Amino acid sequence: MSQEPLFSIRNLTVEYVTRAGVVKAAEDISFDIRRQEILGLVGESGCGKSTLGKALMRLHRPPARIAGGQLLFEGRDLMKLSEEQMCSIRGAEIGMVFQDPMTSLNPVQRIIEHLTETIHAHEPETTDEEARARAAALAEKLGIRAERLKEYPHQMSGGMRQRVMISLALALRAKLVIADEPTTSLDVIVEAKFLDLLRELRQEFGLTILLITHNIGVVAEVADRVAVMYAARLVEIGDVNEIFANSKHPYTQGLLRSVPNIELDGEPLYKMEGMPPNLLHPPAGCRFHPRCPFAMEICRRETPALETVGPDHQAACWLYHPAAAKSEQHG
Amino acid sequence: MPASDQNNPEIWQDELQHVGFVRRLLMARKWYGADWWFVAISAVMVLGFIFVALFPDLIAPYGPDEIVGTSFLAPGAYPVVPVLLVRTDSTAQALMDLAVPENAERPAIGVIMGGPTATALREHAQEIDEQLTSGKTGLRLRPRIERYASLEELLNDVSSGKLQAGVVDLHEFEKLASRYPQLRTGDSITGETAAAGGFLMGTNEIGQDVFSRLIWGTRVAILVGFTSSILSLLAGLPLGLMAGYLGGTFDRLLSLVMDSLYAFPGLILAIAVTAVLGPSMYNVILAIAVLYVPTYYRIVRGQTLAVKEEVYIEAARSIGATRREILWRYIYPNVIPSVAIIFSVNVADAILTGAGLSFLGLGMPPTIADWGIDLARGQRFIQTAWWLITYPGLAIMLVVLAFTMMGEGLMEIYNPKLRER
Repeated sequence: MSQEPLFSIRNLTVEYVTRAGVVKAAEDISFDIRRQEILGLVGESGCGKSTLGKALMRLHRPPARIAGGQLLFEGRDLMKLSEEQMCSIRGAEIGMVFQDPMTSLNPVQRIIEHLTETIHAHEPETTDEEARARAAALAEKLGIRAERLKEYPHQMSGGMRQRVMISLALALRAKLVIADEPTTSLDVIVEAKFLDLLRELRQEFGLTILLITHNIGVVAEVADRVAVMYAARLVEIGDVNEIFANSKHPYTQGLLRSVPNIELDGEPLYKMEGMPPNLLHPPAGCRFHPRCPFAMEICRRETPALETVGPDHQAACWLYHPAAAKSEQHG
Repeated sequence: MPASDQNNPEIWQDELQHVGFVRRLLMARKWYGADWWFVAISAVMVLGFIFVALFPDLIAPYGPDEIVGTSFLAPGAYPVVPVLLVRTDSTAQALMDLAVPENAERPAIGVIMGGPTATALREHAQEIDEQLTSGKTGLRLRPRIERYASLEELLNDVSSGKLQAGVVDLHEFEKLASRYPQLRTGDSITGETAAAGGFLMGTNEIGQDVFSRLIWGTRVAILVGFTSSILSLLAGLPLGLMAGYLGGTFDRLLSLVMDSLYAFPGLILAIAVTAVLGPSMYNVILAIAVLYVPTYYRIVRGQTLAVKEEVYIEAARSIGATRREILWRYIYPNVIPSVAIIFSVNVADAILTGAGLSFLGLGMPPTIADWGIDLARGQRFIQTAWWLITYPGLAIMLVVLAFTMMGEGLMEIYNPKLRER
């Protein structure tokens, strides 16, 4: 894993234009996805993780729209590409694995057709035999036997279909795979196997993976770095060990404390106060301040920016801002 | 490959998937309480109707416009041809030959009591007698008419010589002719000689064979049903796909037009279209096609709207499929099964509407053999000739039933939501 960014997201804002008003589902998000890393993106339901994931490939559909920002994939700004150019990048360079493997394959196409079609779509000069051979070889690597390739999606189990989805992303050697809650609908054993597979594929194909999930355990198991989202904003990002051992943002701390843990020893599980905010009318300043046990005056007025708080570790919190802490003491 | 087998706990389950078409057909269980053989029966019926429509000349004994017998013959009936019946040694050939001089003994002629032959004899004998009197030939024909209750008694008395002659129905006599070799028939006393009869479904008011017209009418019904349904499919399917997939103003406007069409009572709209275009087969087909475009449009648009939101469409976009590929390779194949089912039911509907238009005199030109026209012509004689409207009516019912049953049955087999496991 190198430090060099594969995909730099700069000030990305995605909003939904609804009748009730504009909802910003991702606001002013900036982070890097480094080559060959597994970056876990965690947050609770409705915080904008999936919206962000789709927007990275410009897969969002109305009423969602990207209000601003840059998507620098290997130096190219994806925002400046035409829809046709995006089509040639989707699948070929950035792949996606969806939450529900049961519905993410075309029910009237055989598995092999999914694979060959992807290859043909991006490399029209490939012959059918070549495409089939490549598909079979790839499927073999992912543990799908060749004779099962002629089956229809409904004949496969959830775990198998998720492998097919991954193989679709790998069919053209995509550099980045955005996996949107890939294991949510799988049981724990299949989930564990799938996570192993992700790690193996990273090794074998030099894959970069953005793993979007609400399951902090999954992140702890496979991710190299973690990004935490709360109410459409990125609140903390850093090395997985650093975050788990030494989280800075009160939201992350609360999140980690509310995970059931064998060392709990009879104590009641921590429960975070309050509810995530209404994104139609988000609170001013830091979005987390109504629920934050350490909320200060400045948190109600000013939005904190991501600040470096440790080695490979950034957090958006006034607590770690020297000027803010000082002003609070004076006030 | 032990590694992949290890990842693969489903090998033995593969066998469960090896279920062929026949087995799947057998597995489709209930259709409103009826079994899968509804589909089989209706499919046979549909194929039968299509065969009849393709080769009517193989089945129909006569052409559609051929006048083959007397009018209003009941199914299986023969026209009454009253003929003179004499012994083989007699020289009499016609009723006239039985005339005798004024003072001679009047000949005895037997008839069946109260039948059409008795009436014919009375009227014609009197007519001939008047001719003889005015012609001053000295001859008279005033037969002694003996009335019999049964044909056998009459025939016995003619052959024994008790009667000079009899007047009987030619067809009735022919049935018993082998038992009476000493008897022969003379001329028809009315001059009417056409003896064609025994038509399966009788004849109509101008003497055409109802069965032949029914067979030739199948051609029109199937042609109208299929072509109009295919035309509305060809219009409704792409429009529905486009409207559903593109959405927006295009969808709104098109849906408005289609819903207005749909809100119109079907037959009235078809009447309006044919009234403007004039009666011809192509206009009927066009009118019905226009009528059913909204059916396809609505089904396809609804399905497209549903399919478009499926994750696999988004997944297709994520692998770089263009809009055209998504429409034709992902949405279209997922929409087409429901269209196929609608099609079958739609053909039935179109046949019914086509017959309805013809019945009202707005459909086919009256020269064409068509069930609707036959119904319209036959309804004037409903009290005397039941067979004129019964058979075309039954034919329409059977065709509609076959196509509807097949459509519903296929829906049962291919729509897993209806299938019981």
